[in-house]
Amino acid sequence: MIIFEHVCKFILSDVNLHIPQGISLGLIGPSGSGKTTFLKLTCGLLEPAAGSVYTMRLIPEKNRRKLGSMTGAFFADTPFFREEDTVESNFRDLKIIYRMQDNIFDKEYYALAERLGFRSFEKESVKQLSLGQRRRAELGALLLSRPKLILLDEPTEGLDQTARDSLRELLMERKMEGTTLVISSHNMEEISAICERIALLDHGSLRYYGEKELLLRHFAPDEVMEISFSGKMPDLEDLPLRHYSLHQNKLKLTYNSNYVTSAELLRHILAQTTITAVTTQKSGLSEAVSRIERGEKHELY
Amino acid sequence: MKNDTIYLAGVYTRTIMKSWFQYKVDAVLRSLAVFLREATGIIVIYFTLLKFESLNGWDIHELLFLFSLLFLTYGILIIFFTGLRDFGRTVRNGGFDRFILRPRGLLFQLIFSNADWFAAIGHGSLGIVLFVISAGNAGITWSPGTIIYYTAALIGGVMIQGAIFLLLASLNIYLLETNSLKELFYWNMRKFAGYPVSIFHKAIQFCMIYIVPFAFVNYFPAQYLLRKEDMAYPSIYMYLTPVVGVVMYLAAYGFWRYSIRYYNSSGN
Repeated sequence: MIIFEHVCKFILSDVNLHIPQGISLGLIGPSGSGKTTFLKLTCGLLEPAAGSVYTMRLIPEKNRRKLGSMTGAFFADTPFFREEDTVESNFRDLKIIYRMQDNIFDKEYYALAERLGFRSFEKESVKQLSLGQRRRAELGALLLSRPKLILLDEPTEGLDQTARDSLRELLMERKMEGTTLVISSHNMEEISAICERIALLDHGSLRYYGEKELLLRHFAPDEVMEISFSGKMPDLEDLPLRHYSLHQNKLKLTYNSNYVTSAELLRHILAQTTITAVTTQKSGLSEAVSRIERGEKHELY
Repeated sequence: MKNDTIYLAGVYTRTIMKSWFQYKVDAVLRSLAVFLREATGIIVIYFTLLKFESLNGWDIHELLFLFSLLFLTYGILIIFFTGLRDFGRTVRNGGFDRFILRPRGLLFQLIFSNADWFAAIGHGSLGIVLFVISAGNAGITWSPGTIIYYTAALIGGVMIQGAIFLLLASLNIYLLETNSLKELFYWNMRKFAGYPVSIFHKAIQFCMIYIVPFAFVNYFPAQYLLRKEDMAYPSIYMYLTPVVGVVMYLAAYGFWRYSIRYYNSSGN
């Protein structure tokens, strides 16, 4: 679906990757690492200074119009609507721009308006909307024509939790239908929930590209288990723990989940004492990312 | 794929007119403001010129006829070329990226997705007022032939100025800022064009005929209708306005198509 071969542009240097169709990719990295540049190269808003980009087998900057009919791209700094017009009339323009039939448009529009919650202000002009309202309508407009490829640059900035949840649901549905998603975000939870693959950019180079699970297993294998017990302090001698701490009757164990599972730990401890409560916590994507960014070397690649 | 481009142009025009004329009083006042601003300039020139019998043989009504052509063509021009007039701003605020991301022609979107109707009404109605005042008094005889000629000259004049706007917009892709160029080559030349070309120094005449050919917008068409004695150029020039318009527009369009391939959005 998207191919980058030795691509250089602005900060990006020698980026190579291949994103197959139907993949949902999370594009992460610190500010200024080239995420927006990556997305703009993909849809033809920028031309690579060296190397080549192919999107749906096309050279993006030479096929902007053709790509435009199949791609939905959202950039936070690109105004999406005519400010003076109402939300609804902006959508009606899009209906004609994307050559949608009346019944299909009605179905899509009302579904999106309900789910993203912009039905209540569809008669207001865009310039009167708050940032959150505007975002909701913009994201609806992006999904309206059911593009095969969706590119989102920081889509959740300014959205409240309800809107975030609706967007996540919508994107998951589109993914099930075979849409390719590329989402850049600083919100790791968001990325983690939607994306199966991760591309990590750091100062313009690709530090990691691959499955999210693999990334987590290698860079964030730690789990934390908190156990409240009544009875005697269990013997932890033989367990492969990173470290543990004890506060009254609360035991906090940190361990590498590649070496020992929570079930094994529990079995071991249950044999020695009575447990009253257990919680476990996996470390997430943000932990993995910060470890890579700190420059932790790993034989993964 | 059905061709619905004209339909889309119609829808755009309707939406845009609706938003420009949403507040009736506001629309009237703002159009009136443009009219008065431009008319004041003309009134000052009018009283200045009253001191003279004529300017190289052109009396006051004939001069006002020259002005009427400038205002009428600009009134029509701005209906279609507001998007190109404001192109620099559209590029800077990211609006042009939006057009690129949509599956429609760029120039089409620029032309039809906005129109400064207040400028169109203000300039257009001043043009009509000046035309009504001057055309009768300047002694033009109207026949089917002169009416057809006049219409063709108006269209040609619009295309000449449209080509200048398109050229400046194309340059904007390389330069990012062309307001001063527009000030120099469009608005300044337009100020000269209010008077018969023959009163100026040779170098300026050359500019107004061959570089920024405003002479074809009003001077040569007026010469055809008025036949003044200061005409120092081949009489074929009086018929060339539509040709100059079409040729310039096609050339500017070619340059636009070429330049647009080099457009790059802002990074990061």
